[in-house]
Order: sequence, then C-alpha cells, then structure tokens
Amino acid sequence: MAQETNEKAAATPVTMVTLTIDGQSVTVPKGKTVLEAARSVGIDIPTFCHHPKLKSVGSCRICYVEIEKMPKLQVSCATEAMDGMVVSTNSDQVKQGRRAVIEFILLNHPLDCPTCDKGGECDLQNLTFAHGTDDSRNDFQKTRFREDDMSTTFDDKSIGPEIVLNRNRCILCYKCVRSNKDAFGEYDLGVYERGNIAQIDSAPGEQVDNPFSGNLVEICPVGALTNRDWRYKIRVWLTETTPSVDNFQSSGSNITFSKERQKNKIYRVTSRPNDDIDDGWLPDITRYGYQIVNSPDRLKKPLIKKGGTQVEVSWDEALDTIAKRLANIKDSKGSVCIGGLAAPSLDNRSLYGFSKFFRKVLHSNNVDYRSDCRMLPSSSDTICSRLAMQPFSISDLDDSDVIVVFGSDLIREHHNEYLRMRKAFNFNGARLFSITPYAVKAADIAELEVVHRPGKEEFVLQAVCQAAVEDRLVDDQTAGRFREQVGNVDLTELCRSAGISTDSVKQIARALASGKKISFVVGEIVTRSREREPIAAAICNLNKLFGLHDKGQVAILARYANSKGAQKLGVVPVPHKMLVDKMNVLWSETPSCEAHNTDAMLALLKKEEIDSLFVLGANPMMVYPDLQFAREGLERADFLVACDLFETETTQLADVVLPLCSWAEYDGDYVNLEGRNQTARAAIKPIGESRTGFDIMAALAARFEASDLFEVDAIESEISQMLAIADTPALPQEYTQVRASEDKEKDGFDIPLYLCDDPHHSGHLTEKSPSLAEFSGEAYAEISFDLANRLKLRNGESVRVESPVGKIIIPVKISEILNTDVVLLPRNFSSTPTTALMMRKRRVDMVKLSKVDD
Amino acid sequence: MILTEESIQKIKEKAARYPHRKSAILPALTVAYRQVGHLNDEIYREIGRVINIPPVEIAEAATFYTMFPKKPVGKYLLQVCHNLSCALVGADSMITYLEDKLGIKKGETTDDGLFTLISVECLGSCATAPMIQINHDFHENLTREKLDKLLEELRAKA
Amino acid sequence: MSFYSPVITNASEATSNEKLHLFKYVEDPQQHKSEIFESHGGYTAWRKVLGGMSTQQVIDEVKNSGLRGRGGAGFPTGMKWGFVPKNSPKPTYLCCNADESEPGTCKDRVLMERDPHGVIEGMAIAAYAIGCHIMFIYIRGEFNHCIERMEEAAREARERGHLGENIYGSGYDLEMIVHSGGGAYICGEETALLNSLEGERGMSRIRPPIPAIEGLYASPTIVNNVESLAAVPHIINRGADWYKALGTEKSTGTKLFSLSGHVKRPGNFEVELGFSLEKLIYDPEYGGGILDDKKLKGVIPGGASTPFLTPEMINVGLDYESLTTVGSMLGSGAVMVFHEGTCIVWIIKKLIHFFRHESCGKCTPCREGTGWLENMINRIEAGQGQPGDIEKIEEVCGNILGRTICPLGDAAVMPIQSAIKNWREEWQYHIDHGKCQVETDFSFR
Ligand SMILES: Cc1cc2nc3c(=O)[nH]c(=O)nc-3n(C[C@H](O)[C@H](O)[C@H](O)COP(=O)(O)O)c2cc1C
Ligand code: SF4
Ligand code: FES
Repeated sequence: MAQETNEKAAATPVTMVTLTIDGQSVTVPKGKTVLEAARSVGIDIPTFCHHPKLKSVGSCRICYVEIEKMPKLQVSCATEAMDGMVVSTNSDQVKQGRRAVIEFILLNHPLDCPTCDKGGECDLQNLTFAHGTDDSRNDFQKTRFREDDMSTTFDDKSIGPEIVLNRNRCILCYKCVRSNKDAFGEYDLGVYERGNIAQIDSAPGEQVDNPFSGNLVEICPVGALTNRDWRYKIRVWLTETTPSVDNFQSSGSNITFSKERQKNKIYRVTSRPNDDIDDGWLPDITRYGYQIVNSPDRLKKPLIKKGGTQVEVSWDEALDTIAKRLANIKDSKGSVCIGGLAAPSLDNRSLYGFSKFFRKVLHSNNVDYRSDCRMLPSSSDTICSRLAMQPFSISDLDDSDVIVVFGSDLIREHHNEYLRMRKAFNFNGARLFSITPYAVKAADIAELEVVHRPGKEEFVLQAVCQAAVEDRLVDDQTAGRFREQVGNVDLTELCRSAGISTDSVKQIARALASGKKISFVVGEIVTRSREREPIAAAICNLNKLFGLHDKGQVAILARYANSKGAQKLGVVPVPHKMLVDKMNVLWSETPSCEAHNTDAMLALLKKEEIDSLFVLGANPMMVYPDLQFAREGLERADFLVACDLFETETTQLADVVLPLCSWAEYDGDYVNLEGRNQTARAAIKPIGESRTGFDIMAALAARFEASDLFEVDAIESEISQMLAIADTPALPQEYTQVRASEDKEKDGFDIPLYLCDDPHHSGHLTEKSPSLAEFSGEAYAEISFDLANRLKLRNGESVRVESPVGKIIIPVKISEILNTDVVLLPRNFSSTPTTALMMRKRRVDMVKLSKVDD
Repeated sequence: MILTEESIQKIKEKAARYPHRKSAILPALTVAYRQVGHLNDEIYREIGRVINIPPVEIAEAATFYTMFPKKPVGKYLLQVCHNLSCALVGADSMITYLEDKLGIKKGETTDDGLFTLISVECLGSCATAPMIQINHDFHENLTREKLDKLLEELRAKA
Repeated sequence: MSFYSPVITNASEATSNEKLHLFKYVEDPQQHKSEIFESHGGYTAWRKVLGGMSTQQVIDEVKNSGLRGRGGAGFPTGMKWGFVPKNSPKPTYLCCNADESEPGTCKDRVLMERDPHGVIEGMAIAAYAIGCHIMFIYIRGEFNHCIERMEEAAREARERGHLGENIYGSGYDLEMIVHSGGGAYICGEETALLNSLEGERGMSRIRPPIPAIEGLYASPTIVNNVESLAAVPHIINRGADWYKALGTEKSTGTKLFSLSGHVKRPGNFEVELGFSLEKLIYDPEYGGGILDDKKLKGVIPGGASTPFLTPEMINVGLDYESLTTVGSMLGSGAVMVFHEGTCIVWIIKKLIHFFRHESCGKCTPCREGTGWLENMINRIEAGQGQPGDIEKIEEVCGNILGRTICPLGDAAVMPIQSAIKNWREEWQYHIDHGKCQVETDFSFR
C-alpha cells in the first residue's frame, strides 16, 4: 500500500495549456477556465454568477467571450481553457451579448439605486455603466414582489437576525444559496418557484442565522441581501477603509474596516480575501464582532477601588498606585508573590511587554496566557506542548485526501478550518473522519463519525494503532517496534471501553494507511482535558505508526487570535528552552525563581502565598473551568489589577481597573495558528482614555525606572528575533505506553458536561456586539432529542443542571446533532456562569439534569 | 403530523430503493400530495424528517414543479389543458364553458368546495384533444355533452 | 373515462405489416401483460442478448441499424452508448426519458400504456450495453396511468425473471426504478432530468461534462427517449440490416408521429421515416384532411419548438434531413396542423406562454427574455401592438437564440422567428389594425 502511495503522488505533473486572449498569449494549468486564464493576465471579464470559490453554473451569461471556430458566444466562467484557443473578450459580438444580458437583467429590476445600500459598490450598477445602454426598451410593468412585512419599506423582508431580503433587486445569480449550501453546509436559505418568478427566501419556518450568514450579504452582487449592520447608515463612498486582521479567531482572517472619515467610528467589516487563510469567507463572529469597539459600555477611564466602590481616576494616579503596590509586594514578600495573566488575543507587543515587565522588571516568572485551562502541567516542555508547536497550514487542508478531526467541534472553535474541510470534501472529494465524545456538526459530511465515551480519547487512538498492526496496514518492522514498545493490547477490549466499534477504528486505520496527504487536527476537547498529556502521547504514537507527519500534518489547533504569538513569545511560566535561551541573550538574564501557571497562581492566591495578580485583558472569572476555585483565588488577592475593554466579572473584583484599547485602535501584530505574523492596522483612535497593553506595561516600567527596556524599536527587533526562532521541537522518538487516568468518583451525577461556545459568541467580548447577541440569544443547554424526551422537556423550557458544586437553571435547546447523553453548555454568557458547575480536578465534569416545574 | 403512518411508510419504502436518499424527494412529494391534495411548508418539514433531508431542499424542489397545488383545492381539481393542440379544438372555450357552468373564474373553487378550475400546460393528449385532467385521471376527446355528463357523475359521487 | 388515446396505426396497404414493429400489437388490449407480450415474441431479444452477445456487439448492432434518438435531437443511439467509459470505477446508469411534455407530442405515452414490456425490454438491452445495473424511467408526473402501468410491468418482469438478479442464469443483475416527475417540461431536457431525478430542482446543467461521462450522481449516464429504446429489441431480433432497410438512407427505421390540431383524424401513427407529410395530413388512412374541409394555413412538423411549414412546403418527407432542408426539424414527431381560420399571433401567444411558464429560470436570457416576449406578443394579440414591436421581438429572439444553457431558449424563439418570417404581413396587420385578419373561433363542440 505504501508503494502505491508514492507512485501516485509522483505521477501528477501539472500540464499547461497556452491560448491567446485578445492577442495576448496566456499559459495556465490545464483545467482552468477561460475566465481564470484571462484574469491571470489582468484581462477583466465581467461576471455576476461566478465566484472563485464556488463551482461555475454559467447562468448569468454576462461573461461571454468569442472563441474562434465556435459560432456561438461562450461563457468564459464555464469554458475550459484549451491549447490553441483564440479568444476575444471585446469583439462586437461580445459587447452586444453583454449589452443584451444587462438589458434582460434590468427588465424587472426596480432601479432603486438611490435607496439601495449597495449603491456605489453594486456589480449591476457598475457593469451597467460599463457595458449597458442608456435607455430602456421595456415599456411593461415590472414584476414586483410585494412583502407583507409592514415594518420595512421598499418591499424589504427580514429573513434573519441580520439579513434583509429585497426580492425585486435579486438577479438570481444563486450565489447566496450556492455558497450557503456548498461552502458552508447550511440549509437555512433556498430558492423557490421557477422561471421568472423564481425567488430567494429563508427555509420554511426558519431564519437565516447560520454562523456564516454575513457572507451572503457580501457576495450578493446587488442590494437584494443587505444587513442591518450597514443598512441606511452611511453610503459607501463616504467611508474609508483600513486593512486589518480578525481578532476573534486563531486563523486571523483578513478583514477590512470601513469608517467614516470624520467620525471615530467603524461602520462595518468586510473580507479582504486571502486564499491562504480565509478564501474570502468571514464567519459572522468576525464580521459583526467589531461592534464591540463602539459599544457604549466601553471602559473609558481608569478606576480605583476606594471604600468598596470603584471610582474614576486619572491614569497617573492609577499607574502610580499600581507601581507602588507592586514594588511594595516585591520588596516585602518577593517577586514570586506577583502573578500575571494575559489574554491570548492581545498583540505581540502587548504580550511581549507583559512578559518582559514581569520577568525583567518584577523578576517574576508567574505569567500565563491560558486562563481557560485547568490542571496545566507545571513543566512547559511536555509532549502536548511540543505537539502544539508543530507546523500547520490551513490551505493544506484543501488537497488533503484524508482529514481526521480529533476532539474538536470545529464549527464552534475554528470557523475557517471548518470551511476548508468542507471545501476539501465538496471540491476535492476528501474523506473526513471525526472522533469526538459527542456528535458534532462537521460530521454531516464525514465518511465516519466516531462518538466515543467521554474521557476515553486515548483508548480510541490506541485502538486505531492496534487495528493497523493487527490488520497489517503498516510494515512488519514498524508493527514489530510498536508491539515491542507498547505491548499487545486487546483491540476488542479497547473498543469496548471506549464505547466504539472495532469496525470503525479499522476503517480509520485503513484511511490513515492509504491516505496520500493527511491532515490530523486536534481541538480543544483535548487541550482542555486534564489528561492532555497521555492523549498527546497517543497522538504521537499514531503519528509515528502511520508516518503522518511525512504525509501531511498533525496539529493541535491554537484557539485564539494570538495564542500562537503568546506561545512563541514565551508568555508561559516555563517557556521552551529555545525561547529561554533567546530571552537570556536579549535581556542578558531571566529570573530563576519558581514559576507558576494559571492553576498554581490561583491555588497560591487562595493560600495567600501569592498576593497580587495583574490581569491583562483576560477574564478568568468567566473562563476558568472551575468558578469556585477562580473566585476563591481572586477574592483573596491583596491587590488585583484588571485591564479590559469592559467591566467584567474579573474587573469587578479588582482594586485597579485600566481601560484597554481594542485591536481596531492601534497597529498590532498577531501570529495566527499557522505561525503567520500579520498586522492589524489602527482604523480609529483609541476610545476614551483607553491604552494598549504595551503602553500600560511601558508606563509601569517607567515607574520602575526601566523605560529603556521598553523602547519601541528595540522591542520590535526583540519580538522579531523571538518569532524567528525555528521552534519545531522534536516529538518522541519512541512509542509511549499510554496510561491516562479516569475520574474515580461516581456520585450519582451521570450526564457528562462539556463547555463549548456558541458559534456566534465565543469570547467574553462578543457579548457586547448587538448583532452577535441577537444571533446567540441567551445561554442555553444543548441536549439530544432523546434526552429531552426522557426529561419531558421541549425546546426553550428550563432545565436544572446540577453538579456536586453548583446548580444553574437554563433553557434547553434540542440539538439536531447530539445523539448521546451529554449536555453542552456555552461559556461566556455573563448571565449564566456555567463554569460554576465545574470541578477543576475532573477529567470529565458530570451533572444531573431535571425539569423545572413551575 | 399531517402525513399518515401509511404515507410515511410508503415514502420510506420508496426512499430505500434509490442509490441516493435525495432522489426520494419527488416520490415523497407525490405520496404527500396524493394523501393531502396539496403541499405546504409543514409537509416539507415532515418529509424532511422522514427522509433526513433539510426541509429547504424539499421546498425548493416542490415549488419548482407545478403539478402539486400549494394551497388547498376543491375535491375535484379540474385541470384543463390550454396549450396549442387543445386550444385549436376549443380548449379556451371549454374553460369559459366551465367557468359559466360552475359559476367560478379560472383559479377559483366553487362554494361547495367541490371543484377548483385551473388551466395547465400540455398534458400529452394532443391527438385526443380537448382534454381535462380531474385529480389524477385524464378525460379526453371531450365534447359539451361528455363534459356535462362527467361533471354530473362527479357531483353524484361526492 | 378514456385512459387510452385512440391509436391509429397504418397497418394497411401503405406499409406492409412486416415493417411495423412499435405499434404492431398496441391495439391488443392484453399486450401490457407480460404473458401476452411474451406470446408475441416479447423478451426474445433480451434473452438473445443475455444468451451470449457482448456489450460491444449490442452497441455495434444498434450503431449499424442507424437508429437515431427519437426524443428530438436525433443523435445516433449506438454512438451515444459508445461514449460511456469502459471500466468506469463508478456505476453507470440508464434513464429512459418519458417526460413527454413537448406540446403536440403524445406518442411515448401510447407505448408505455399499451406496450410497457416493450419499453422495459428496450431499456434492459440498453442497460446491458452500457453496463448498468439500476435503470430508471422518468415519467412525467401527470401520466398516472403510464406510471401505474410501468410499475406493474416492472413488477411483473421481475417476477417472471426478466429483471432482478442473475437474469436467465446469465449472472447479470438489473433493477428498474419507475420515477415520476412533478410537472415541468424542462425535465425532459436530459441534464434537467438528471437533476430532477437526484432530487434537485429540475434545472439544466452546463455541458461539458456530457451525461455519458458524468450524469446521474456524477456517474456515466445514458438518457434515451422511450421510443428510441422501444425500437432496440426489434433491431436485436431482426438485425441492423432489416432496420436499415426501412426509412431513408440517413433516417432509418420507422417513427411515431402524433398528429393533432385541425385534422379530421388526429392520432398517433407509425410510419417509415421519409413518409410524406402531405400524405400524413390528407390521406384518409391517416389525418384524413383538414377539419371542416378548410384550407391549410400551416404545420408545425416536430413539436412546439420546431419552425413552421407553410402549405407550399408540406410536400416533404418526414425525416431528419428533408425537414432540415425546408428550414424546420423532425423534433419529437409532433405534427400540429392549423387551418386558414387561425391567427398566427394567437398561436405564438399560446406557445410563448408555454415556454415562459416552463423556463427553469437558471439563465438570464431565457428567464427574462421569454417573459418579455410574452408581454410583447400578448399586447399585439390583444390589439395594442405598437410600431416597432415586430423588430423588437426579432431582436430579443436573437438575444436568446444560441445564448442559453439548454436548448429551451432556442425552442422558445425558433417558432416565433419562423412565424414572423412566414406571416410578417399578418403581424403587421395586427399591429396596424389592432385586430386579426382572420376570425379565430375554435369553439368547443
Ligand atoms: C426543453 C427540452 C425538452 C425535452 N423534452 C424531451 C422529452 O420530453 N422527451 C424526450 O425523450 N426528450 C426530450 N428532450 C431531449 C432530451 O434532452 C434528450 O436529447 C433525449 O431524451 C435523448 O434521447 P434520444 O437520444 O433517445 O432522443 C428535450 C430537450 C429539451 C431541450
Ligand atoms: S439574493 Fe443576491 S446573491 Fe442571492 S441570487 Fe439574488 S442577486 Fe444573487
Ligand atoms: S459569470 Fe459566467 S455565466 Fe455568470
């Protein structure tokens, strides 16, 4: 089998074809369309229905070209470029053809440009100017769709929380429906009726509220789909744009901010297509998340707790206070008594400044960016962290023929990668496998979805390895080594305890053995697990056995906008040796004192062995998976500083609160999960008196007389040296025996609980975006249809969720996807602190559910 | 639930025969139409659940086709072919005749809920024109006399 | 109730009985039963094929017979089968096109109602030739009786071992699915038919890929008309040479013609290709002349989408080539006749209404253009035509012709262009006088 792989991989040379377009010779790979060939040399051909990321349907007919030896006009978007073709894109016949198409399209178009929000960036408007005629030959009443919806004018119809449809403007390019189904795998929008009364609308009885719905508005070539976010607010020609990078996701989608020239206000976010990252699609969370920037709730001035209440003070007073208290603690109790948590969504400079301030100014190693993980290992050089540093490329998912998603509900964690995976499936026929403790959305296109018993991750991986060895899918020598080092485990027994079938692991083993390019991606269910180490070891076994690294990529996906940056800049207590070495060079020293991670810091705060915590943009009170534990720690802190954009559960407890800038207010660099360093430019000036994380750290350093350490140019150079470190640590050379432990207590709580995110609300900030809040609504508990039935619960009814440590009452949402007994609770709803149910030492939290009778 | 257990069973049987589930959409719509007499959103959702296909796909297909009424119709759906071959031998005047006789306009239903009159495109009875399809049956080579008798029979049956 | 169309075959002196095959037994009220069908020699071709013919032999035989598609385009059937890739890793499919929705056409229906096993036998042989194990027949949804007949016949055929597993002990398996449509002319277009069969909206697909390479479920698929397939068993039984000897050199065999409109004896007739159109209309054995002995005004020879013939042109052979010479097409063989008392604008109004109604709405020129044309034509017909309308109609037709995804656009405009070309003064009169030259009154008797 291995042999066949090599042969096939080698035997796909790209054939090129050469054709002539408008007298110019063009060479493109075989399989490209005439349109693509023309655009590759800058010859533009107008299009409406064509979208570079969707299959051509050739329906609008504006992209006509004339091709020698073909009597009829051809649609360039659906005609393959052939060797020797002679193409004209501007002959009289072509011009006439285009004119006719525009005439047809305008026949029933309302021509309501002055009231249409697409005006100024409307394909139909632009192409009519460029290729149409000035007069109309149609003297009939136009077809008009009338809407009963009296709340809107101009026959508009609301079809989702954000989207408004005007069927009269629609030119039936079907791009919206096609992208919704083919690219996003969503079924809340359709086209109904046929012929010239065909029309777009939401699915029967549904709203268009999928996590990618904003794209529909952006790709609509006319003003048929508009969003409330932008409608009737400003005309496009009054705005100016700033290139930026998304701050809500780890892939760092490329975006554009639009703002009005005079006002310090952003009006929208649109895509800035980057095929390596986003393919031009933005998840709603990225598109509407910007609304937090202009939220009226933004903190605008520093606050200091005086007599039990936080009162506004000047920056000087706030900074002086902090510096004095920290110096005090440092001098009286030692720097090890100060800890810091930073948010992994901050830019490189803020994170680096934070780490440098702690290590170099305060001489403390207590820094961490992982406030959402419990039971972190004290060492940072673990198998899991080494695995997390392996390279990963988003676009490599495109042509992977086998993709395994392990322990991730991608649509909630990694929107872009989710779309890429669908693309690989839809366009390249990739085979998908999903392995998770509960059923996930992405599995709708999976060849096989394995839902295992919660907390049995390593068993599943072991079983796959074992199956490969037993079925001789790997060569004898490899199998022998595996047997030798891991021993013979009983496959049936492994599968039984993981609650899966042997057939399914065999199927996965076969796919891994025969795949030519494999992507094995690992998500949060693993990284947030207490047993992340043994699971990582099992992944390494699998990787070694199947040679996955050689045939693609094995990666733990970083979760936040700059998690990877934080990792690379060493914002953890004990960074990898490579990083420490570099710091020693850059700073001439690093503190040698004990280093504590999030867990340890909280524990030590509780024990009053740490006195002060400095929180930069993080919100442990919301995200740490054991609220009790986090609260006990923070409440005992002698001195708590919290910097944030908003008042949060954490700032409420703070002695000093500093207002932070959002990423839209300053130039910042972010490293995406692939390790790609990207710049987000300032679109507007800082709101209120807010400052950047770096400015705060530098201002504090100044009060410690360490300004020289924070000179911007030097800092920039240090950062680039840090980022330049080739940090792909080696994975274990040998197979590891995997021994993970289970929770011992079985105390009558029988439903596993998983924290997860609403696809429209995945961070504490997103709650402040009115659009996103509208999508996500209030917090809910997702359970299966079956479980709901047994509990006699209907959608929207309240359920009591109890754990040994807490109890919440929350409405249920009956999931169309879940098919086992499990409850999913979203994080990040401040109204419903779901982390209150969690116990830090658990591998899997267990709860009881009951109906609330009232 | 609108669909009866029998219809659901029929749909499932049909669906099982196709290499791909989605092909069962039209057969399912036909079964539902046979049972209910028309189609609507609720039915699309029910069919979606039965054959495990998003309802939007069912609705998109259903509304593309004109054979299924999307609103309730009378007990007898009179579908007069008004296309060329039939029109050449009097289809249009047959429609007027029916309108007068039933006291309704094309597209309407009689007050007693018995008859709905619509005109349709060519039904493949061109050589036996004029014709009318009543519910699922064809009646061809029509004359005034035959049509009168037919309506009487239907009234009597009702 | 009259389920059955009165089938009139030319079993008399015109053609000897020997040459008739498709309609040979359609008058037998028992023919739809497998037993009777078999007693008439049914399924012998199928046995012969499975008894030892290779797929290539079957394809060659059909190729040599010169059989051309009866669905409208006249594409050589054997050649089409040959396009299916050999040893495709995907399954191959056969779809029998029984959507019969082209106005004027009502012939396939007779075959399905009266001789369903003949259709099944033809399908089975075609399926074998292309290596297909699941074959479909897509019947327009309104043809309830056909659907029931075909379902019953398929069940019977399976019971009697003509379909199913290991047919006649040959090791060949073949299943048949009867699929019914939902009322859409466009679903007769083969790619739209495939979409419809897949559960999609019945919209046409861009070509390439052609269905023989990538059709149903993205697998190699052959779509053939009912009549084309029904001819196949006869070719296998009697040989390509026998078939080739019928008809003309390039249009071999016999063809069914649906005669409708202003003739005394409308009906379906089986005649050799090349048969005189004039004779079909006037011969007492066939059409029997024009209704009420009026004068002929024009003929649509091949279904609603083919250009008109004027009386001077009807002395023409009904075959693919001859009709092309007079500027029209054989199409589906639907001959629609109208007499002098017929307004040409009214005819076009009927036709454009149909095509506008049936446009799938996928491509712009067809979707928008047919609507515009209908508006303009209705206006003229209603006496409100404006100067310049005719030219505008011609121009719009030109902007649709050859510019659409599937031939429906062409089908919609070709009759209009031809009607204007042949009867321009009449159009002009209509506009100038706000009414028609002729009194059109087709009252219902
Ligand atoms: C608009 C349109 C409608 C058609 N309708 C039919 C039809 O009802 N029956 C049919 O057999 N072919 C129909 N055809 C032709 C088919 O596309 C296809 O060519 C034919 O089924 C192939 O079969 P044949 O090769 O046996 O003729 C139609 C074509 C078009 C463009
Ligand atoms: S709503 Fe916009 S995107 Fe959708 S089909 Fe109409 S014009 Fe195209
Ligand atoms: S862009 Fe080519 S047909 Fe629409």
